[in-house]
Amino acid sequence: MSAKPVFLVVDDSRLHHQMYMLVFAKGALAGSTLLHAKNGREGYALFTTHPEIEMVFLDLNMPEMNGLEFLERRRSENLHPHIPVVLVTTEDSAEDEARGRAAGAWEYLRKPFTPAQLTELVERARARSVRT
Amino acid sequence: MNDDAGNPFAELLEEYVAECAPLAEAVGDTLVTLERRWEEGDPADQLFGTLKGSLHTLKGNSAMMGLTAIQALAHCMEDVCAFLGERPDLRPSASGLLLRGAGVLVEMVGRAARGPLSADRSEAFISEAREFIQTESVGAEVSAPYPERRRFERRTGSEVGELGADGVVSTIRVDARRLDGLLETFGETMIAGLGLREAVRDLAVHHRGAGFTDLEHALTSLEKTLKRLEGALMATRLVSIATVFGRFNLLVREVANAHEKRVRLVTSGGETQLDKTVIDRLGEPLVHLVTNAVIHGLESPEDRERAGKPAEATVTLSATQRSDRVILTVTDDGRGLDPERILHKARQLGAVAADATPSREEVFAMAFLPGLSTTERVSALAGRGVGLDVVANSIRTLGGSIEVASEPGKGTKFTMSLPLTLAVLRSLLVAVDGERYAVPLGDVAESLRVTNEAIHEVDGHGMMFWRGQVIPVSDAAEVLGGRAARSSRTYCVVVRSGAKRRGMLVDGLLGHQDVVVKALDPSLGRPPTISGATILGDGRIACILDTARFAELRTTEAATPSLS
Repeated sequence: MSAKPVFLVVDDSRLHHQMYMLVFAKGALAGSTLLHAKNGREGYALFTTHPEIEMVFLDLNMPEMNGLEFLERRRSENLHPHIPVVLVTTEDSAEDEARGRAAGAWEYLRKPFTPAQLTELVERARARSVRT
Repeated sequence: MNDDAGNPFAELLEEYVAECAPLAEAVGDTLVTLERRWEEGDPADQLFGTLKGSLHTLKGNSAMMGLTAIQALAHCMEDVCAFLGERPDLRPSASGLLLRGAGVLVEMVGRAARGPLSADRSEAFISEAREFIQTESVGAEVSAPYPERRRFERRTGSEVGELGADGVVSTIRVDARRLDGLLETFGETMIAGLGLREAVRDLAVHHRGAGFTDLEHALTSLEKTLKRLEGALMATRLVSIATVFGRFNLLVREVANAHEKRVRLVTSGGETQLDKTVIDRLGEPLVHLVTNAVIHGLESPEDRERAGKPAEATVTLSATQRSDRVILTVTDDGRGLDPERILHKARQLGAVAADATPSREEVFAMAFLPGLSTTERVSALAGRGVGLDVVANSIRTLGGSIEVASEPGKGTKFTMSLPLTLAVLRSLLVAVDGERYAVPLGDVAESLRVTNEAIHEVDGHGMMFWRGQVIPVSDAAEVLGGRAARSSRTYCVVVRSGAKRRGMLVDGLLGHQDVVVKALDPSLGRPPTISGATILGDGRIACILDTARFAELRTTEAATPSLS
């Protein structure tokens, strides 16, 4: 990959942003650029203006615009459909996961997650984009 | 699931506490409000939603950190909320349970960064909560009310983080000790700057000319930069007082319940900012004042109704900034202080002459005398027989002052005035017998030229007329240095502390100066009227007047005799 990979983190918790920073500062993902947004509305604005984003980590429960609303708006506007969006949540019901996927989430990541799980998701998405 | 030691995010523990402690406190605050609203029959669904959102975030964050005990506690409280979602009729009876959970939550989150957590209290809560749900579920016609399917709710009122407008994290965490070190170094720099100014002033006597003017300009510009640096440095140390106010909702509720009072806590001005050092040391005196207000200041709901007051009492905590000071008040609408009783006790303690007739204001000021306000009954919950003198001392060591106003039957109001910063003090430098002293400028009411005739002697104490009132006057040498008073001084500095005024006779006024406050070594011993010391530009040491103590000096003996 020539340019630095760019990831977007949309979460209302500062703590989570720092967790992502830890993961993306070390190991396989070191050297990535992270874009930070503290709610869905800010996240959507960044998503609109940064087509180079490789993957979005989208929290489900947020003020202003939640994860589902983000996904629904993105689908209605057909904005950057190639960018995989990972819906991150503490929910653990199959029904909730189905709703997330139906709204257009590429993957569903449950808290607590580990750095290895994040890396694995990124690698899986890269493998997928090479194939297609 | 991660265990505590091997958590990949362990290094973010302090960040976790910084984010979650206010959130846990907000859970407590929200519950206190919900309890009231539910009792009034208002389901308060929106606020209830906020509560669930906060618990949800706490659960997720704790899970990420591997803090499974807190995660389980938050999860259990969510379950109780979900159950109450289906059974609004049970809400009023469940608020106590949830508030107990919030108390445990606040405590555990606060301790999370200080080593492994014991799950004893959270587990006790969880079994209590399960029992509640089980008992209440029996016989309910709702087939399966628990667990409620959690919905994707749009959350309101949970604001987390200080991400910049551009969405990029723009804060860094700095060890507070580094900030202290920076301040210390700044203090040294300022003292060096003052020395430079002094040297230039001396040189000015012999040298004039272009080169000298350049030197003066350079120095003036250095002083301006130092001033800006001071401002910037102070700004990094400011913390909003909401961090202190946050814990009072739960405290008031707990104390009120234990003493069968009904109390509503109102806070205002939580956004007011103060130096971190001041904030850290403010919690304890405020806890004393608020606890005292609830236990001793407020009447029982029955007594209140009999007196024609609302059964529910109000305690107000407020903060406002007034120039470079912050004014804090603790107000209650209770029975008020009893001036007769205070005066009686003060006489027993020998603090006031048997025949003196102090004004009501002066009597209230006696409440801060050692041994006077300590209640005979040590409350189990307050757990302390701490008197107001201890509170006043804590406030004074912070460079602040405290006073109390009260009206029998209507209530009591404590007002504290605190400096924004402890490091630099705007002062008036005065000369006394060749020594120099710094008087905090904020406490100077006026400085004026006096003649011997203006000072009257009444019962061996100096008195003078000032702005239409009679105020006591002391000789500076006597008060500050324990030396004999001189009969002729040129100036009088009128110092104020609360409602009190007292004149201090000095030889000269040397001008205003910002001085860097240094604590005095306690082993040196010092007159009680000295609060600290500073190093002046020429390297000499000047003591700083403790204005509150000075103003209160021998108050009782000096109390307003009439001049013949």
